[in-house]
Amino acid sequence: MAGTPGGTTGTSIRDLTRVRLTRLDKVLYPAAGITKEEVITYYIRMAPFLLPFLKERPLTMHRFPDGVEGEGFFEKDAPRGTPAYVEIFTRWSETAERDVHFVLCNNLDTLIWMANLASLEIHATLSTTTAYEPPDLLLFDIDPEPPLGFDDVIDVALVVREVLEAAGLHPFVKTSGKKGVHIVIPLVPGYRFSEVRDFAHEIGRQIARTTPHVVSEFPHSQDPGTVFVDFLQNAHGKTMAAPYSLRATPGATVSTPLRWEELRHGVRSEDFNVKTVISRHEDPWREIFDNRQKIH
Amino acid sequence: MTTGKKSIEAPAGRHKKPATATGKKPLPAEPEPVKKDPAIKAAAVKDPAIKDPAIKDSVKKNPGIPEVMAVVPPEDHETHGKTGRPFWSGSLTIGLVNVPVRLHTMVRDHSFSFRLLHRTDGQPLKYDRVCSRDGLVVPWTDTVKGYEVRKGEFLIFEPDELKAAMPESDRKIYIDKFVYYHSLDPVYFDNSYILIPDRSEEAYSLLITAMQELGRAAAGTITLRTKEYPVVVHVYDGALILTTLRHADEVTLPHAFPVLPGLRAPKEAELALAKRIIADLTGDFSINAYPDHYREAVLALIDRKLAGEKIVYEEPHPEEAKELMQALQETIATLARK
Repeated sequence: MAGTPGGTTGTSIRDLTRVRLTRLDKVLYPAAGITKEEVITYYIRMAPFLLPFLKERPLTMHRFPDGVEGEGFFEKDAPRGTPAYVEIFTRWSETAERDVHFVLCNNLDTLIWMANLASLEIHATLSTTTAYEPPDLLLFDIDPEPPLGFDDVIDVALVVREVLEAAGLHPFVKTSGKKGVHIVIPLVPGYRFSEVRDFAHEIGRQIARTTPHVVSEFPHSQDPGTVFVDFLQNAHGKTMAAPYSLRATPGATVSTPLRWEELRHGVRSEDFNVKTVISRHEDPWREIFDNRQKIH
Repeated sequence: MTTGKKSIEAPAGRHKKPATATGKKPLPAEPEPVKKDPAIKAAAVKDPAIKDPAIKDSVKKNPGIPEVMAVVPPEDHETHGKTGRPFWSGSLTIGLVNVPVRLHTMVRDHSFSFRLLHRTDGQPLKYDRVCSRDGLVVPWTDTVKGYEVRKGEFLIFEPDELKAAMPESDRKIYIDKFVYYHSLDPVYFDNSYILIPDRSEEAYSLLITAMQELGRAAAGTITLRTKEYPVVVHVYDGALILTTLRHADEVTLPHAFPVLPGLRAPKEAELALAKRIIADLTGDFSINAYPDHYREAVLALIDRKLAGEKIVYEEPHPEEAKELMQALQETIATLARK
């Protein structure tokens, strides 16, 4: 180790984390030239924003061991060899008809461990382990169908915001990192998924009636030239890309929490990526869990 | 790629050799994670119960099937417990019928890979992309793909342009027709994968039995990653095996060599002698008669070195991950403040 440059002399990665980092120079985003080291560094930098959200929330890892141009796979279960510092939450899954051993990201090392597994995308349930059945988040997933694009999504998102605020609610918004946005309302505990879903459905229907291009019903969700306000994600076992999760897109986009003022025509999903989000110093979702709301 | 090859004559004296070939001396990596997904395990456990009797029955009921049709592994072929996670999942599509399946890797390369080290300090070397003009290292962000039209002349391709040309992977194995498996020529065989039913045991079993009784394989296409491959699917050892094929223009045909058409016909006496020699050496083919001598020798060498000579290896160095280290230090400090 002769010739170690100053600054980090004497300290090794092993002193700082229990994670055994591997293949750091593996390129995970070939088009953008992003290596695994940069991905891990990104998640370490964003940890202060990300960890409070992920705490006690069962996760699904979307792993891309061969990078985003290879085949990715979803991992709901903690893989064999999961280290002891990773907390596990075991729950019977109705859909899979078996126990699922969910990973909980309750500490920094778990986040680094997931990044090291090339879990580029982190998907979180809309409920936590303390109340696994009742959801603590309401989600509107807003997606455009071509030829409509992000400007149209913004228009619809602003209408959704207006309607929700008229109902006395304070929604939070983030880019999905792909084509659309996610609008989220943190809930006081106690609602059932069906209640949340019905509420979101009603809002969607209301907006679809009054706003051009908007559809709220699943059969129309892929009609060209529409924007789909999806209420169906409010269900047991469904997940959404976590705030600050990277996405498996060529440009290494990030599902980025925004201030509503930032949602202006001309803004693009691609503006928020692994290189730009790292220097955002304010978390617009910082107080999300201090703002739990009632929907009726 | 040897899975589907017919009996090939092996030198008589050798094929009885004990099975020392593959994996007898496990490397550290050998006892690999078997299955993470209990659902897969459950399916795998259920499988033989559903499938096997059906297949065995069908074989019994059809003594007329020529021996060569029953493609089974050599009895002394070691069964590797390694299954791993599926490499791809989708469905086998025959007309309007879909059979959901998972694709598992079948062929594993056991050749050794050595790291290249700096002789003077023993540190691993890394590769850099260096500009051929100024010799400077070029970051990934400053690279673009070029197709060399003529020496030194390139067409530039942006990732989007190439993406537009890529086939869409719709997670289907499209079967166009059924063919006699033994009419296929192994020169086109590329790589084989095991198809495992994905909660489709009944349809899978039905397909296996029908294909086996008719001695047919299915031919069609699959899109893996960004490439479309011709494939054949055949029955082997109670499973459907998918084999990707080379495209026709990737395989050189022998008639390109002018010496071949000019060969003279052999004399009858010579031919009789040659046939007798072949008959004498005829036996059953066993892949285990051909161990990987180089691998065994290197494994022995590794054992010797491990016992005696000092092996130096180190964790990633801080200087290799300086940004990461710095982020880690700062984040730990931030989290501690909270």
